Amino acid sequence: MRFCIPWVILTLLPQTTVARQQPDSIVQFNRDVRPVLSDKCYFCHGPDPAQREAGLRLDIREVAVEQGAIDEDDWENSLLLERIQSDDPDFQMPPPDSNKSLSDLERDVLTRWIQQGALYQAHWSYAPLARPDIPDIGSAENRPANPIDAFVLKGISDSSQTPAPRADSKTLVRRLSMDLLGLPPKWDEVSEFVNDDNDASWLRKVDEYLAQPQYGERMASPWLDVVRYADTVGFHGDQNQNAWAYRDWAIRAFNENKRFDEFTIEQLAGDLLPSPTTDQLVATCFNRLNMMTREGGAQPGEYLAKYFADRVRTVSTAWLGSTMGCAECHDHKYDPFTSRDFYSMGAFFADVQQWGVYNDYAYTPNPDLRGFNNDYPFPPEIETESAFLIGRIDSLRQEQNELVGKYQVTSLDGFNDWAGKIREFLTQHPDGWEIATPWTAVDGQLEYSRQIDGSIVFSGDNATELELIQPGTIASVRIELLPSAEQGDSIRRDGKLDPFDLNPLIRIRRNGIEELETIPIHLADADRKTLDYANGFAMSGITSGWRTAAGGMPHTGVYVFRSPIRLNDGDRVHLDCRDNKQVSGIRVSFSPLVPNDTNDLHQMKSDALFAGAGGEHDGTSSNAQSDPVPGDTWQRMAYVRSSGSDIELLKQLQAIDQEIVNCRHGKTPVLTTKSIEPSETRILSRGNWQDTSGEIVAPAVPHFLPQPGNDDGRRLTRLDLARWLVADDNPLVARVVMNRLWQQFFGQGLSARSDDFGAQGASPTHPELLDWLASEFRESGWDVKHMVRLIVTSETYRRSTQSNSDLLTADADNQLLARQRPRRLSAEMVRDNGLAIAGLLQADSGGPPIKPYQPTGYYANLQFPDRRYEDSPVRDQFRRGIYMHWQRAFLHPMLANFDAPSREDCIAMRNEANNPQQALTLLNDPAFVEMSVAFAARVLKAKGEESVESQIQFAYQCALLREPNEMETGSLVYLLDELKAVYDADRDAAKALIDTGLSMSGNGLDPVLLAAWANVCRVILNLHETITRY
Amino acid sequence: MWNEPTTINRLNRRSFLQNSALGMGGIALSQLMASTVSASTRGGVPDVGVPGMINPLHFPAKARRIIHLCMAGGPSQIESFDEKPVLTEQNGQPFPDSLTAGQQLAQLQNTRLVSLGSFAKFAKHGQSQQAISELFPYTARMADRICIVRSMQTEQINHDPAQAFMNSGSILKGRPSMGSWLTYGLGVETENLPGFIVLVSQSSGGGAQPISARQWSAGFLPGKYQGVQFQSRGDAVHYIGNPEGVCQSTQRLVVDEINRLNGMLAGQVHDPELTTRIAQYEMAFQMQSSIPELSDFANEDASTLDAYGIKEPGDGSFASNCLMARRLAERGVRFIQLYHRGWDHHGDIDKSMPITAKETDQACWALVEDLAQRGMLDDTLVIWGGEFGRTPMGQGSGRDHHIQAFSIWMTGGGIRPGITYGTTDEFSYRVAENPVTMHDLHATILRLCGIDHERFSARFQGLDAKLTGVEKANVVEAIIA
Repeated sequence: MRFCIPWVILTLLPQTTVARQQPDSIVQFNRDVRPVLSDKCYFCHGPDPAQREAGLRLDIREVAVEQGAIDEDDWENSLLLERIQSDDPDFQMPPPDSNKSLSDLERDVLTRWIQQGALYQAHWSYAPLARPDIPDIGSAENRPANPIDAFVLKGISDSSQTPAPRADSKTLVRRLSMDLLGLPPKWDEVSEFVNDDNDASWLRKVDEYLAQPQYGERMASPWLDVVRYADTVGFHGDQNQNAWAYRDWAIRAFNENKRFDEFTIEQLAGDLLPSPTTDQLVATCFNRLNMMTREGGAQPGEYLAKYFADRVRTVSTAWLGSTMGCAECHDHKYDPFTSRDFYSMGAFFADVQQWGVYNDYAYTPNPDLRGFNNDYPFPPEIETESAFLIGRIDSLRQEQNELVGKYQVTSLDGFNDWAGKIREFLTQHPDGWEIATPWTAVDGQLEYSRQIDGSIVFSGDNATELELIQPGTIASVRIELLPSAEQGDSIRRDGKLDPFDLNPLIRIRRNGIEELETIPIHLADADRKTLDYANGFAMSGITSGWRTAAGGMPHTGVYVFRSPIRLNDGDRVHLDCRDNKQVSGIRVSFSPLVPNDTNDLHQMKSDALFAGAGGEHDGTSSNAQSDPVPGDTWQRMAYVRSSGSDIELLKQLQAIDQEIVNCRHGKTPVLTTKSIEPSETRILSRGNWQDTSGEIVAPAVPHFLPQPGNDDGRRLTRLDLARWLVADDNPLVARVVMNRLWQQFFGQGLSARSDDFGAQGASPTHPELLDWLASEFRESGWDVKHMVRLIVTSETYRRSTQSNSDLLTADADNQLLARQRPRRLSAEMVRDNGLAIAGLLQADSGGPPIKPYQPTGYYANLQFPDRRYEDSPVRDQFRRGIYMHWQRAFLHPMLANFDAPSREDCIAMRNEANNPQQALTLLNDPAFVEMSVAFAARVLKAKGEESVESQIQFAYQCALLREPNEMETGSLVYLLDELKAVYDADRDAAKALIDTGLSMSGNGLDPVLLAAWANVCRVILNLHETITRY
Repeated sequence: MWNEPTTINRLNRRSFLQNSALGMGGIALSQLMASTVSASTRGGVPDVGVPGMINPLHFPAKARRIIHLCMAGGPSQIESFDEKPVLTEQNGQPFPDSLTAGQQLAQLQNTRLVSLGSFAKFAKHGQSQQAISELFPYTARMADRICIVRSMQTEQINHDPAQAFMNSGSILKGRPSMGSWLTYGLGVETENLPGFIVLVSQSSGGGAQPISARQWSAGFLPGKYQGVQFQSRGDAVHYIGNPEGVCQSTQRLVVDEINRLNGMLAGQVHDPELTTRIAQYEMAFQMQSSIPELSDFANEDASTLDAYGIKEPGDGSFASNCLMARRLAERGVRFIQLYHRGWDHHGDIDKSMPITAKETDQACWALVEDLAQRGMLDDTLVIWGGEFGRTPMGQGSGRDHHIQAFSIWMTGGGIRPGITYGTTDEFSYRVAENPVTMHDLHATILRLCGIDHERFSARFQGLDAKLTGVEKANVVEAIIA
């Protein structure tokens, strides 16, 4: 909406028009004059020397006077006035061919400004930050307790307006919950507050929300926009990048209320802190969130220049609220940033290890990245623990234990027989493995020698293929590759130390049967391997294939069978290593058991599992009555896994095993910053990366801002930059951050352009308030929660969005802040709100990106590698929008339709469109249809026995946090009747509708009633009010 | 088929008395009226839709709509429209150093450069005697209709940024693409379709490169100007189909109810977005109703399908997309962009390029002829071309990316037919005469649509951003009829 030009033109002016409409009023340079000069004059008479005409600049008073534009002796005859008032095309300013012209109002402002002495002011955002006095307003008894209100009320009373009253309590709780948590409150909370509506309980509510983990998720969302966080690299193949641990770090930082100065320093320079913690290194992922390429034929130099500019733009927008990007090719046209400032700022990042093209192509060799392909990650990365993954592993194990705990042993004899055999086996083979005996030969062709340690050494040109005798039941196999002295201590037959591939194929030769029987593998892993990657992620375990690690060291691989295999006399196991004849020494062992840690297969040891598995159950233990299953959970687990006694249960366990493996021991890689010798930074003339003639620059902050101390003249670092940003004398950062925070709670910053604090931006409507907030922020120890609390406990925040028509007319754009502003929910909140109302929302925090349903084929235009989108399983399908997989080239259509940015570049303000795609999404996206069905099921389960009216009342309470009025109820009752008739006549349609999605919330309910109600709920989820925060 | 009564009538279908008695205020109703029957009384060309920012136009418009046949990947000019006998003679010889010294290369970085002559033969076609290669026999048939520009230049040598530059005139993210600029400037002429629609097909012959949705982004312009990608197969638009188990009449009930309840709220609260929301739900329903008809090729006769070379309508092929482009043009869509991914011929160009050419040549011709027969070519500008061209130096059996000279063709709305504009040196390495930059092309397109590119800007980060950028761009007057 803010980009709609006609409105923008109207809305940018009000503050100045107030002054302009009163002919005698004093004009203020910052408020009234600078916007006109900047927009109409600076292009040719501003900071950029390359464009400057006649040597005149109007942004510096001395020059304007010296050049005669302003005549201090005879104000009325200043050349500037003559020329702006002239209608001679050759003389008038701005000249006609500039396509710029002055309005009468603007001409009047400039005239009065000069008449009043042509006073300049330092630009508001660059002026030193001083804490303004709180206006003295109201009488001693009713003086506003909250300073924010004092500043705002002062403006309202100066304009003789009446502010809107406080919003009603229900609206307020919903507003607060949406703003602080990004989620709707529960009806109980709302009614509780309504019954106890006072300032103390409001403050309690605020503090309660500030302490909830969802607060961090809400606060992180706009931050992720400014740091352009995404899960893919953006350019060309748009491959995955591992960054989500950074997203979780940011959420945690807000929840822990990390001081904003530390928050800043850790992201920009965590790696340069003394003995950085892993978390501080995770934070430096920030420096790596620029778009990257792996395109063949891309020029490293060109892309390094792109990454360079991207970082300058991001730091500039995120912390300085400035458009330094404009100075890439020339000095800034409107603001004092020079091209040198741009390159000097970028030079801070010259030590960040990176590659222009993340691959090793013949035409752009990168020896560091040898062997890379499109599935590889984007180094450097570090590993970090994820609380989400660790918790997920625990809960999955818990689930397995519960499954096994419920398992009923059908035959005590069977169990005891199994336990006896295991006990006997473990007596002979305490480590759980029995080394297999090779059968003489296959067709007498194989040549190998058997060693004393049970291994077999292959030599010559023979295939690594052998048959093994192993009577009894086997559940897993261990393959050890052993170096031998003859091969120069290598596991390779040719004595080399390079990795090689083997693809062991394990089959059974049943006695007397020609055809070999394949053994399906459940899981496999090796203690040493060359990592294999799939779309940026190192694959867990090994599949059938396995690439050894370099160095010739011994390897152990373990394969767990999908189900235990019974071998009879005369049966043999056939092993074909399919290794291109590389394996030298090999030792094969079998076990009737499976490793108890699916995450750690190659560490199979005779531990508690095996010790426990041997205990025979005598049926007399004290828990025999209540627990008829023999032994403890571990024993039962071993029994189910290695006896094949219950294949269905085994399959359930194995499905969970796979999920545990996917949790990768609770660790994840994440992009990080590694500091290396800084590369040379030159000023690129016109931004041309091939022009190497420019001057070399050292890291430096913009020349016109307070400079960091550097007495010994050393090269400044990212740490210096970060500390400079949060230094006491930095005028911009606290203002910029507070302005964005204000935007979060009022829909618009105190300065409307939160991404441009320069001359072309918008002067703040309440400059003193902004300065007071910025000072308070800094002096509070950069305490974000403190500032949030101040804002949301103000009366200004709590005002109604509704107001009298006088106010609407006099202050259409709400410059006075005499009322609140209704705001459409952000894309993520639209989703979260629907899920919460439906009762589907999953509350987990953090973890790998989730993938909600997406139209098929949406990634068809992505290649290198080809992409297949797989919906997250039901366990993760209903998590919050902030966790959605953020594909820069093809952002999920639901997110895109509701104006979430692709995050290719830093974004400080989101669009807020209102278009038919949004309607189509809420109406037809299966995710929202499923929410409607679940919501309907929720209504029917809670109020199924009650009247339709009270069902509708309940639905409104859930979704809109208010009671429906008589008219709304009447209309929906009527609709429900119509819908019931529709679905009564077409029960198949009813079933089709309620089967949408994975949740199956409506099980057990009458399909016709549920389908009819699902459509009523679709109506409610589609209401403008549902997706608006009032 | 979906000739439903107006919103107001439907809202009142149940009981006008009930609603009005219970407070659905007169203001809300009149706003509703305004939002659904807007624009019908406006002067000027379109009688439906939304007016553009440039109103009135700076010049009389010669083109009302644009079909951009984007040959993604960068077709070789040397095997299409830029005949180079000298290059053919020097086939296999070292490529002149004097041309390439200090120049930017893509995959030919750090290699020995060798001339590669055209594998395709050229002939002169039509009365205009335009030189067109044998790979494009159908295009050759319309030699007298098209204007070939052999002197195109661009600034970006890799696919992704080059496409961004072609579309938005900038490599900075967040810049609007030309389709967005045009719908922003000219408005839309259709109420139930977006003004800017994109379709993508892929070659079966290799040479396909990925393409990002950023290429049709509205950037900093309002989201309603964003290009909407129609799927070449299946549902044309995301979420356009009703949910399973919801028929059109049930959907109508639901949409009516949403608008009725939103209307009630509009009578009670001050929220200007509410009336817009109501109008958008109506438009969404109209889109749902019209798109199945749009995608239904049943009323296209067999000879039309044959002319385009369509095996199966809606099969996702370029030919099928071309027919869809005509149907969209008929329905008033302003900017239609068809990407065919498959021109990135780094190797085996003599085997792959004929496949890609065959997949596109006939349908391009059929589209132009079809538009002409329907009297629409006069005010439809058709542009054929890629994001860049290919090197005269061989890359083994193929060609690398080349940005200093490449060819496109244009026809229809205001283009002078049957001419060739611009020349290159004897290797097709550099432009010899009449260079046309991407910004010049943009300026020319805008001029044909009645817009002075110098006076067409939108405010972004304090700057008056233009499609044609900061540097001076020139309208190529010589190719305008």
